[in-house]
Amino acid sequence: MSGQRNANEGTEALYAAMLRQYEVEQFLFYEADLLDSRRYDDWLTLLADDIHYWMPLRRTTTAREVDREFTRPGGMALFDNDKEILTMRVQRLSVGRAWAEDPPSRTRRLITNIRVLADADGELQVACNFKLYRTRLNSEEDSWIGRREDTLRRQGDSFVLARRHIFLEQTVILSQNLSNLF
Amino acid sequence: MSEQLITTDRQVDVSQCFNPQTGTLQRHIFTDEAIYQQELERIFARGWNFMCHESQIPAAGDFFMNWIGEDEVIVVRDREGKINVLLNSCPHRGNTVCRAEIGNTRSFFCSYHGWNFDLDGRLVGMPGEKEFYRDEIDKSVWGLSPAAKVESYRGFVFATLDPSAPALADYLGWVGRLGIDFLASKGELEFLDGVVKNRIQCNWKLAVDNLYDWYHVKVSHGTALKLGLVSDAAMAPMDQMVLLGELGHGIGGPGISEEKFQDSMRRLQAGEPASVWYDRNVADRMTGNMIEELGPVGKRSFGHPNIFPNLWVALTNQLCLRIPRGPFETELWWFTFQVNDEPEERRKFNLFMANHVFGPAGILEQDDGENWSHSTRGAKGAFGKKLPLNFAMGKGSDRMEADASGQSRIETVVNEHGQRWTYQAWQEWMQADSWETLLANHSQPPQGDC
Repeated sequence: MSGQRNANEGTEALYAAMLRQYEVEQFLFYEADLLDSRRYDDWLTLLADDIHYWMPLRRTTTAREVDREFTRPGGMALFDNDKEILTMRVQRLSVGRAWAEDPPSRTRRLITNIRVLADADGELQVACNFKLYRTRLNSEEDSWIGRREDTLRRQGDSFVLARRHIFLEQTVILSQNLSNLF
Repeated sequence: MSEQLITTDRQVDVSQCFNPQTGTLQRHIFTDEAIYQQELERIFARGWNFMCHESQIPAAGDFFMNWIGEDEVIVVRDREGKINVLLNSCPHRGNTVCRAEIGNTRSFFCSYHGWNFDLDGRLVGMPGEKEFYRDEIDKSVWGLSPAAKVESYRGFVFATLDPSAPALADYLGWVGRLGIDFLASKGELEFLDGVVKNRIQCNWKLAVDNLYDWYHVKVSHGTALKLGLVSDAAMAPMDQMVLLGELGHGIGGPGISEEKFQDSMRRLQAGEPASVWYDRNVADRMTGNMIEELGPVGKRSFGHPNIFPNLWVALTNQLCLRIPRGPFETELWWFTFQVNDEPEERRKFNLFMANHVFGPAGILEQDDGENWSHSTRGAKGAFGKKLPLNFAMGKGSDRMEADASGQSRIETVVNEHGQRWTYQAWQEWMQADSWETLLANHSQPPQGDC
């Protein structure tokens, strides 16, 4: 009988993990859709007040020195933002003269390979891969692929984003700017 | 083999491209492939190019990759502590011998056939030296080609491929040196790990002339103003100062009168909080020995220096290189420094500005790229490229005043003196077939009405 009980417990744990995976995926898909739909003010409401939004620099190193590939927190970064700066980035788009986004670029985000790495004290550590595709004006095209490490904090029956660390697969940024959110 | 590096068999006549009398510029200088090739030889190979700061490569074997035009070079500290600049190209087949952009190494090993080079570029060995080369290769002449000259000014390392280039300090002249002093006189500098790099589809000269441009700020970067990131007065102040140096160096941007400088110092020394846009600049200059080092005029300039051809010394403890990648593409490289013993508050502010203002995601800089790429595009069409551009702002309306200290300057409003000076110098560099000709024929900065 105990073996049966263990099997049931195992199945229940699997169901719980699947349910959690579904919740996490739906949150990340919704969040991406807000950005693709240019609903930036709604996007801001998903951010925790203490969010750290960070994209380090990446460098080509030898295999032996690959631990130097990314810059470290507190050093140079492409994004190293708190909520105030992220709010400013969003406000920028509506005050006029934000030329990089006026006319607005067209973006589509693909979020994939989502894995919950840890779940403790009401916070989930979630890794995913992304592609951000952008076209602009008539013929300009950019895309960025990378990995994200997010912290989703449980709030009510959903989440808020408490940390987003973004690791791009580029060293020299091959676009004229990074005027979009990842 | 450095005497072979400077060959000038191509000769495009650009003497009519910029007209200093009218302040007009022909657009095809941004798109013409032959002009671009001549720039690589007559400007980048000939001039002194910024390589790195000494603190970037403190230990033996530390290296940093950079470019002189389209020649990739290894900037490496050897075991004697000397910094070498070596062409990243194996003399056997031309392959690169270093593929990382930063790192530390004992030697440079070619991945094609295994030729191995010491940190000073010397060829130390290769597979089959005895069996295949029968001990008949003279290793002393087949090393990595070094730059003709490598010199530092206050920790900033420069290199030139032309053996007849003047010494670095003479090349920089007082304006170029002052530009670097804006940063170097703040104290001991430490490089902050990570050079921010991105590509813009523009001609490199348009990125360079923009650094003197205090006309675009409120329009291009209007959002920073509207968000309160920068005040209206600080963004494009009416008080402007221009300093022009031989060979194309210059400093242009905000600058205040001696009276305003004294008044600001008096208020700050009395402990009053900063209330006028330039108070922060003055407070910056009151640290250490900066006022004496920068001189009676230099201390009052808060403008943007350009070390000709392509090094901008920014006010945020940063340098920005504009590296050509063909006529239609430029790479921007941001180097950031911390001043040791700087108050924590100012250090945080500078890092904040470095990470949020400039760079591809910078709240100001993200709006620049499209302006420059579309200005380049505007020089491509058969009709458009024949039309001149207007660089005439302030021409003939200002005065270059000499100071007893020797620091001449124009004190005026927003203007295009710096841009005109840059294109005039560019034309002279492009017309000259050698350093000898350039030194004999280049313009002296204006005196009096200009």
